[in-house]
Amino acid sequence: MILKSMEQGRWLPDPPLCLNLIVAAFHISIFSLPVKIRGKSNGTRIRIQKQKWAINKPFSLQSSWMRIRLFYRYRDLAPQLVPLSYINKPDVKLPYELIGSMAELKDNPFRQRIAEVFSEDGEGNMTLDDFLDMFSVLSEMAPRDLKAYYAFKIYDFNNDDYICKSDLEKTVNKLTRNELTPEEVSLVCDKVIDEADQDNDGKLSVEDFQHMIVRAPDFLSTFHIRI
Amino acid sequence: MEPRWAQTGRDGPDDDDWGQQQPPSSLFLQLPSNATLRFRGNVAKAWGAALDEGEPPGAPQERDGEGAREQESVPLKQLPLCMAEKRILRLREQRVAWKRSRWEQWQVGMRHLWGQVRGALLYAQVWRGSLHRIEGHFGTGIQSYFNFLRFLVLLNLGGALLMVGFVVAPNAAFEGLQLNQTQRGQNSMVNRSCLQYDPTERGLVSYFTYLMDLLSGTGFMELTHLFYGYYQNSAVDFVGFSYNIPLAYLLSVLGYFSVCLLWIVHRAVHLLKRSLVGENWELSTYSHKVFAGWDFCLAPGTAAAMKHNSLRYELRMDLEEQTLRRLMAQRSPGQRLALFSLRGALNLLVLGLLGAAFYGVYRATEYSQRAQDTSPGQQGLVLGLLVAYLPSIVITAANQLVPLAFGLLVRLERYPLSLEIRLTLLRTVFLRLSSLLVLLFSLWTQITCHGDPAADSCRICHYNHQQHPCWETSVGQEMYKLLVFDLLVLLLVLLLVEFPRKLLVTHGPAPLARLLGQQEFLVPPNVLDLVYSQTVCWVGTAFSPLLPLLHAAKFILFFYLKKLTLFSNCRPADRTFRASISSFFFLLVLLLGLAIAWVPLLYSVFVLQPSQACGPFRGEPTMWSTLWVAIDTLPLVAREFLQFVGSLAFAVPLFLLLCILMFYLMALDHSYSCLVKELKGQLRLEGQDKVFLVTQITELS
Repeated sequence: MILKSMEQGRWLPDPPLCLNLIVAAFHISIFSLPVKIRGKSNGTRIRIQKQKWAINKPFSLQSSWMRIRLFYRYRDLAPQLVPLSYINKPDVKLPYELIGSMAELKDNPFRQRIAEVFSEDGEGNMTLDDFLDMFSVLSEMAPRDLKAYYAFKIYDFNNDDYICKSDLEKTVNKLTRNELTPEEVSLVCDKVIDEADQDNDGKLSVEDFQHMIVRAPDFLSTFHIRI
Repeated sequence: MEPRWAQTGRDGPDDDDWGQQQPPSSLFLQLPSNATLRFRGNVAKAWGAALDEGEPPGAPQERDGEGAREQESVPLKQLPLCMAEKRILRLREQRVAWKRSRWEQWQVGMRHLWGQVRGALLYAQVWRGSLHRIEGHFGTGIQSYFNFLRFLVLLNLGGALLMVGFVVAPNAAFEGLQLNQTQRGQNSMVNRSCLQYDPTERGLVSYFTYLMDLLSGTGFMELTHLFYGYYQNSAVDFVGFSYNIPLAYLLSVLGYFSVCLLWIVHRAVHLLKRSLVGENWELSTYSHKVFAGWDFCLAPGTAAAMKHNSLRYELRMDLEEQTLRRLMAQRSPGQRLALFSLRGALNLLVLGLLGAAFYGVYRATEYSQRAQDTSPGQQGLVLGLLVAYLPSIVITAANQLVPLAFGLLVRLERYPLSLEIRLTLLRTVFLRLSSLLVLLFSLWTQITCHGDPAADSCRICHYNHQQHPCWETSVGQEMYKLLVFDLLVLLLVLLLVEFPRKLLVTHGPAPLARLLGQQEFLVPPNVLDLVYSQTVCWVGTAFSPLLPLLHAAKFILFFYLKKLTLFSNCRPADRTFRASISSFFFLLVLLLGLAIAWVPLLYSVFVLQPSQACGPFRGEPTMWSTLWVAIDTLPLVAREFLQFVGSLAFAVPLFLLLCILMFYLMALDHSYSCLVKELKGQLRLEGQDKVFLVTQITELS
């Protein structure tokens, strides 16, 4: 039932309250059972047997059900490259162009930086582990400090562990699609550094950034992707 | 291959706007504070190597004691490492885990279970899918409105459960089972004319009377479970105990108000913790907009373009406000005087508008009540409805038109933009809640003959028994009419204003479409509508026990209708609404509404005499006296304790104690903010010290 509705692309639409509770109870019950999920895809029978990465290892912050769903999303980007079975730990990397074309990331001005930060090679080409990692950090359940750490990495365009003025200018230009004048951009960057820089070195370090972003009340709700 | 972002040991930062000579980065990187960065980045790699060698290497050695303990306390999934490193760490942990005691294993298991339960509960929220879609297309500001609406639905359902469970359902059950009811409070000294009350005696009536009765709560709807007048002042004898109906009514109303208060305060505190985490949040607007401004879960398409536009607009507005403030500071005293006198005059104008609105409401209520009593069946359907709904019509018209005037006036006052928004909001809140109070005041003057117990109509029964033989039901009916009218107005506006506007804009001539523009979903007026409805519900619950249930149904209908109009007719707002601070503000206004609703409740419970002819308190001097009679039946110790708690000897010291506690907390808060400022200064100095020392070391070596 789960796989069929996942293949339609949606989870259940607007269920009433009691049905939600039944769904939640079912969801809790599948956590610790050895699951043999069967379903049909392209006419072949799949048998995903107790995937260690999906069920037993709670590294990502989502449930095993969510991880299976993410696997299908990953596979949908390039069905010919990604095998259905990960038992033999294949070394598959999807290029950045495919990751950047996902519906959730397509219009995000920082999608390239996000892919670079979470990919192993730093170029944006992601394995399944990187993919799960990315959505795990960007999920609702990630704690604030973890998100703040990765947000810092994303906004640090030149990877020097500091957000300097050029990084900030690039950020503001990406946010406003280059529609502010250079003087306005420069003014905004000066103000940001004024507000957030604690140790007065003209750029933001990890501690400055985390100290500032912890006080931003919207950060948790804006820095997450629902999938 | 090592991820690029975790690589260290490269050269220092590229741009050199620091002015001084760059200290060598290799020394900096060996500092313990910088080692935390690498610790987070690839210490697992070092530990993984340790698994093969059997001994952890030197660098993490010094932190191994606290680091290892830190690793155990922080759950593995929250560490910023990549998957491969986490796997290696987990293997290592598993080897250590065998040595852990049972207690620690159980703790770890419980933590794991708790995390999973929390995750599952997140999926069990009502309307989660709809809110997700709204957030994706319109942003978190509009989603906060729907969140608030969902909270109100749950609040009303909870309250309805309480009221129905203790008042309505037992009564219905007693009647159904036809149990023996012993009448209480029989006062034979009461005048016969006070006991005359028969709303169903009509004779031959026109066909539309039933429709009118349904819409205004009179006639066949008056003597039902919906209104106060139906309940009896009796006690039902069960096996072993007797169910005291008036006591149950009074306590469940008070309990309902207390439950609402606790629930709202709990939610407000929860939101406050998230929104006002640090001091001086106003100073961080630029950095928050730049770093937390982009909403990552926006759906692709027009929503993203809208977000870019709104961010650009906001940044530009902030810069303009900055220049405006600078100009303001440079004004001459003559200009300032002129500005202040202008503002004073405009404030007087605002007060005049408010006064006019209140007077209109007062007169409309008076006329409506008088006209309804004198000629009930002689008017036609439309005229009759118009008269019955006159107070609601006047209130709604005032609530729509006067804020428009406020919006125009506030622009003349030339305040900065943020202050403008807040001032308009405050004035609108005051208008809406006060118009309700004026309605109640108007009813009160009619019921108690302007507070004069010696007036002609009020001498016999201490209330106006000719106009209002059952005054509580009259108040309940007014609140019921406000509820129905609110819903009707929403449907009419939807059908006659919003849909035609959308049709005109999409299919009409281009200049007209550009002039009108597509409808914008403005959050503050919609939220104030909700707060107003909820206040009406609270005021009316004491006189109409089924009102919370009706309001819950109304809010559910509201949700679906508003969602429909949002997706079909509206475009996202140009100015984004800060979701977190505004959610707290909504709850604050809701608390204000609750505080206002307490006033008529307490007044009618403690001061006014209940109607003699109807209701569960007939024959009692006040509603509160029922409670005292019940307390007298308790054992001596409980009775004395409760009497002590209710007396001044307890209340005044408690009040003084709470004042002292409040002053203490204020002083504590002040001292903490001073401490934080000092620590920030120290942090800055430490940073400078570090740089200085490292330069000295490199120069000397």
